[in-house]
Amino acid sequence: MLPLESPFASAPVPNTVLIVDDDEINRGILENIFAPAHDIEQAEDGVQGLQAILRNPDRLCAVLLDVVMPRMDGITVLRRLRQAGLLQRLPVFLITAEASDSVLKDAYELGVMDVISKPIVPFVVLRRVQSVVELFKARRRLNNVVLMQQADLLAKAEQIVQLNIGMIEALSTAIEFRSGESGEHVRRIRDITRLMLLRTELGAGLSAETVDQIALAAIMHDVGKIAIPDAILNKPGRLTPEEFEVMKTHTVQGALLLEKIPQLRENEAYAYAYDIARHHHERWDGRGYPDGLKGDEISVWAQVVSLADVYDALSCKRVYKAAFPREQVLEMIRDGQCGAFNPRLLDCFFAVEADLARLYEHA
Amino acid sequence: MDAQRKETLCAAGIDVDAALARLMGSDALLERFLKKFAADANYARLQAAFDQADRDGAIAASHTLKGMCGNLSMTALFDLFTRQVALLRADDWAAAAALMPDIAQGYARALQAIQACFG
Repeated sequence: MLPLESPFASAPVPNTVLIVDDDEINRGILENIFAPAHDIEQAEDGVQGLQAILRNPDRLCAVLLDVVMPRMDGITVLRRLRQAGLLQRLPVFLITAEASDSVLKDAYELGVMDVISKPIVPFVVLRRVQSVVELFKARRRLNNVVLMQQADLLAKAEQIVQLNIGMIEALSTAIEFRSGESGEHVRRIRDITRLMLLRTELGAGLSAETVDQIALAAIMHDVGKIAIPDAILNKPGRLTPEEFEVMKTHTVQGALLLEKIPQLRENEAYAYAYDIARHHHERWDGRGYPDGLKGDEISVWAQVVSLADVYDALSCKRVYKAAFPREQVLEMIRDGQCGAFNPRLLDCFFAVEADLARLYEHA
Repeated sequence: MDAQRKETLCAAGIDVDAALARLMGSDALLERFLKKFAADANYARLQAAFDQADRDGAIAASHTLKGMCGNLSMTALFDLFTRQVALLRADDWAAAAALMPDIAQGYARALQAIQACFG
């Protein structure tokens, strides 16, 4: 907790007392009392006083308001200030010889800070007004401190979020590294997923925040590969059926791994990450793995990541293959040579593929 | 403030010490405000209002005079005007008017003293 006098809490502190009274002697007396410690402004009736306040309320630390005045009386001024919502932050004191019960009741109901009767006694007025002014000052300083602390906390929370994302990226990249992938692959899967969900009907009903969580989850689709032996993971030639069976377990292994990270389980991205890790090799025709899900049984995000993964794999050099030219990549996807996809998913994919291709221009 | 002035003013019903206290001890302000009281038109307005049976005018003038006398610690006059304002608000015109001779006397005394001191 910062002390109240902290430099962080410094903001211009209002120090002007506005005296609203039609009587020159009253104004003179009050001015004489408050001038040593405050800037003084004066108004000669309610209309003038109200204008002076509304012009810039923030310069004022207190308003001393007479009740019986020509053109507009003090109670009406008070009512207008209440309507303008100013009585919360600007203390108004009624200085009156007419402290009848009905005036007092009106004034306090409207939100006057205090009622001081005339003829005034200087030390009483000074004491009552200045205590309140000090209170408002302290409250304002405290508000500033709280705001600063709030901003600070938000910045820290954002840092933590960024750190989390960084950790997830680092972990995923480290795992992909084993199979000779660069960090680019992980980031491209994230970007392709986000782009397809944001720019096509596939993301219908998903908030931008949810799309970000899914994109983050997409990064983790292959973490299960950490459980696959090097000899299989990095085999340059074709895998034997037995080897392929082992390779396929990276989906289930990935889901199991994610399940074992308690901090992740509490994260909103977890459900997506689990689903994507487990199901990004399912096929629309039901012939994928590990669960043999079919059609809409596969979540939209798992489908999107699945296609993104194929698209990225074809577009880049892999340990077992060279990069294919873009035309050929599209043809292979269209012809179903690399998996069976939802026709709607393919439509959406081709609609934004030109944008996706741009992700590879800097590579 | 010199002793003689103070005595003159006190003799005319002005509690000089109380008035000075209200003015944080400023002789200059007291002089300025007493002169202003002497030159103020509200007493003439009050008389005119009673001549013309103008209730609102009487209340306004009597109220203003009450405020001035209060601020300047003209104790007797302040009491008279306080009663008068209350009577006028209560629509007791006759009783309010009946205070005028006392008010006139007190007002004349105060005016005389102010002129003697600062005239």
